[in-house]
Order: sequence, then structure tokens, then C-alpha cells
Amino acid sequence: MEETDQSSHDIAAAAAADETLERKHAAMLERLSNRHLSRLSGKPDSNSATSFESTQSFLTQFSQSKLSIESHLSRIRENADPNRKPDLESISLEISSLEKLVAENSYFLPPYEVRTCLNTIAQLRQSVDDVTSLVIPKKKFSFKNKPSKKATTVPAEKEVVLSEPEIKLNVGLEKLGFRDLNAAPGFRDRDNEVLVKEFNRTESTGQNGEFTLSNLRDCEVRLKGRLRALFMDKLINCKVYVGAVMGSVLIEGAEGCVFVLASHQIRIHNAKNCDFYLRVRSRPIIEDSNGVRFAPYCLSYQGIEKDLTEANLGEETGNWMNVDDFRWLRAVQSPNWSVLPENERIGMVDVSNVGNVD
Amino acid sequence: MGLLSIIRKIKRKEKEMRILMVGLDNSGKTTIVMKINGEDTSVISPTLGFNIKTIAYQKYTLNIWDVGGQKTIRSYWRNYFEQTDGLVWVVDSSDLRRLDDCKYELDNLLKEERLSGASLLIFANKQDIQGSLSPDEIAKVLNLEAMDKSRHWKIVGCSAYTGDGLLEGFDWLVQDIASRIYMLD
Repeated sequence: MEETDQSSHDIAAAAAADETLERKHAAMLERLSNRHLSRLSGKPDSNSATSFESTQSFLTQFSQSKLSIESHLSRIRENADPNRKPDLESISLEISSLEKLVAENSYFLPPYEVRTCLNTIAQLRQSVDDVTSLVIPKKKFSFKNKPSKKATTVPAEKEVVLSEPEIKLNVGLEKLGFRDLNAAPGFRDRDNEVLVKEFNRTESTGQNGEFTLSNLRDCEVRLKGRLRALFMDKLINCKVYVGAVMGSVLIEGAEGCVFVLASHQIRIHNAKNCDFYLRVRSRPIIEDSNGVRFAPYCLSYQGIEKDLTEANLGEETGNWMNVDDFRWLRAVQSPNWSVLPENERIGMVDVSNVGNVD
Repeated sequence: MGLLSIIRKIKRKEKEMRILMVGLDNSGKTTIVMKINGEDTSVISPTLGFNIKTIAYQKYTLNIWDVGGQKTIRSYWRNYFEQTDGLVWVVDSSDLRRLDDCKYELDNLLKEERLSGASLLIFANKQDIQGSLSPDEIAKVLNLEAMDKSRHWKIVGCSAYTGDGLLEGFDWLVQDIASRIYMLD
């Protein structure tokens, strides 16, 4: 009797054990399926479309975008019409975002894929350039004496963009009392003017000074001769042509500008959609900038060769394209800057025959 | 034997000083270091990261850490604070517009506990450029007198371009550190 009791007890215990095991198993299955579901649903929105962690899915997306860009391009090529310019612009935007996609995924992609993708992007860029020059004939660069009036209609919203890096002006300097910030040599708060300054080469003061360009809009600035340092801040739609700077150039806040500069050092902060034609002894740097493009120096006036040579800037160093982006410390090309395509560059700018207004 | 005396002994044997150079971008930190080391200063790119120079100066060995000053990388300065004997703050005396930035960053830096024992040398650089503020004016703007009691400091006008003032500054710094660490030996 006792024995059967014992065995039935055993059976019951075994059944109970079975039950808990089964329950555990079921719970585990449920957990697994939950996790699977969350992985399926969670991934697309949490990681968005920019990171796949899978070479295969990345390549699929990449080639899809590539195909769509190519078909777009060939359509435009067949039907050359100058009104298609916005289309071309949107295509180059697409290419930029494609480049960004590669950059964002570069950390897991094999080096080979990164290289081929970057090559493909370069080819796409090239064909966009080709189509652009086919559809829109290249503009001849001509030197106007006055900046065009129509540019003045842009302001309003642009103000907002540049006010961001603006600093509360010099609380510390006020304490000084005896030094007025605006007394330092420079052009400030001008609108739609041509500003010319020739630095006297014979006086030692002429070449030892610093110069400031601050808060200019739709202006054209020509600085001839040699100077020691150049500070620029808050420039909108300006053209800035500068001879030889024997020290450094510092730019903070520029939008829609063209700069032609020769200098020992160049630092560019908060610049947007600007073109830089540089001769520089060291590597130019950009920080918090985007849409900036670089090309070699192209300025001429009477005596510029002498100015450049004496400032140790007589020879092209090729540094104009060795740009360091402090916001992009990765091996792949920064999306914030590019080399200005040759067919979009301005020609040699001659600022010889303009007098001194200052 | 206390820990402090052990450290002093080690330092005395090596006669090494660790010097940290900081300041806003474009103030001339790298140019100063290259100049006192007698190197070519005409091709210096803005510093991405940092440079270390070991220089024999008088009977001491200076390890000079020259850290880039661009806004994006200022937050990395604190990685270099440890065991700093001397702090060199470089000011571009011709950049009037950013003196506020300069004061703000210096104030922040001096709050750092790990730097509290370090001697502070301020270089008012670019004195050769016409229109630059004098060292006295910079001292006023930066309100340096406020730390008379808390720290050994000195401001020296200099030009990394011509070399003027650099030795005067480093002489003071090295003497000041030596008198603290090496007990006037």
C-alpha cells in the first residue's frame, strides 16, 4: 500500500515537474517571438533607413538610388531644356544624400564596398556636371562695377541663419572703456557697396596691420597689397578679393559668398554655400560649415606677383584642396565641402583699375 | 616617508616639467612652440588633435603639450589636465572681437581642480601686429588680478612671429615651477 502510494506520489510529482517545464518552455517561446517581433518592428523606426548593419541591404538600397538618379539624368539629357535646372539641383541633392548614406554606413562596410560606392558617387557627380553644362550653357564671368541690385531682395530669412553664431558683443571690452572695437581698421555694417583698400607697401605700418570685414551684405571687397591678419564675420552675398595675407585669415559666419584669398593660414567657421579660391601655405580648415567649395587662387592686379612673393606666397602649394573638416573626423570624404568643378569656376579676376575709396 | 616627498624625489631626479598650452584657435600656440624650438614657423596648419614637444630648457626637460584650440575640440582639453605643472594660456591680442570667448574659456579652464596647482603664464601674442591690445589691457579684460591670491600667474606680451617675449615668459614659468616642485635647488 505504501509502495503504490509512493509511486502515485512520484507520478504526480513528475507530472507537476513536466507541467512547470512546459510552462517555462512556453514562456521562453513567447519571449523569443516577442523579441523577434520587436526586432522586426523596432528596427526600421529606431534606426531609420540610414543604418542597416548589413552589407547586402545597404548595397540594394545604394544601387536602387543609383539607378533612379541615372534614369533621371538620361531623361534630362534626351530633352535638353534650360528650365530643368531645378531638376538637376535636386539630383545633386540626391547624390549628396547618397554620399551621406555611404558615410554613415562606412563603419561596418568592407573597405572595398566603400571605395566602389565612393567611385560610383564621383561618376554620378561627373555625369551631372556633364549634363548641366549640356543643358545650361556656362556663364561667362564678367566683372561688374556695382553688385547687382536684385540681390538685395533676398535678406529677411537669411538674417536668421547668421544670427545664430552671433555673440553678445564684448562685455569684456566695455570694461576697458578706452578702446573702441569699431576703431580698428576695417569695413563694417555696409550694404550693397564696392569697398576698396590698398595697403601701402612702403610704409611699415601698411603691412603690419590687421583688417576686419564685419557685417557686410551684397558688397564687393577688394584688398590689395600685403596685410598681416584678416578677420571676417557675418558676410552675406559678398565677393571678397584679397592680395597677400602674411598671417592668418579667420572667417566666422558667411553665406553665399565668394572669397579669393592668399594667406598662410585659413580658418572657416559657420560658412554656408560659399566658394573659396585659395592659395595657402598650410591646410585650410572648416568647422560647422556646409556647402563650401574650394578652387585655386585666381586674382590679379598690378604688382600682385611682388606682393605674393614677398609674403612667401609666390608658389602654388596645392593646399587649397587639402581641407580639414573639424566636424568630420573620419576617413571618408566630408560631405560638408567639395572641390569646385572646373566648369563652374570663375576665371581670373582682375582688380587693377579701381581706385582707393577709404 | 610621505607620498609627496617621494614624488618630489622622482621629479627632482628627472627634472621634468609638464606644460600644457591652450587658448582659442588662431592664437598662435603651435607657432610659439615651434619658434622656441627653433623650427620653421611659416608652414603651420591649424592643429587637429595635439602636438608634444620635448625641449631641454636650462637644466630642465620641458614636455610641452600643444592642444588644438578649434571650438569642436576644446572639449577634449580636459583629457590633458592630469599632472600639469605649468599652464600656458595664449591670447591673440589682435582679435578684439573674440576676447569675450577667450575670457569665457579661460574662466572655465581655471575652475578645473586638476589644474589648481599649476603656474599660469598668459602670453599676449601677436604684439607685432599694429592695433593689438597691450598685455595690461588684456589683463584687465581677462580680470587676472582676481586670482592674485589663488594662483601664481604672469602675463607677458610676445610675438611668435618675431620671437620677442617668448623666453621671458618661459623663464618665469620654469622658475616658478622649479621653486614649487624642486624647493629652490
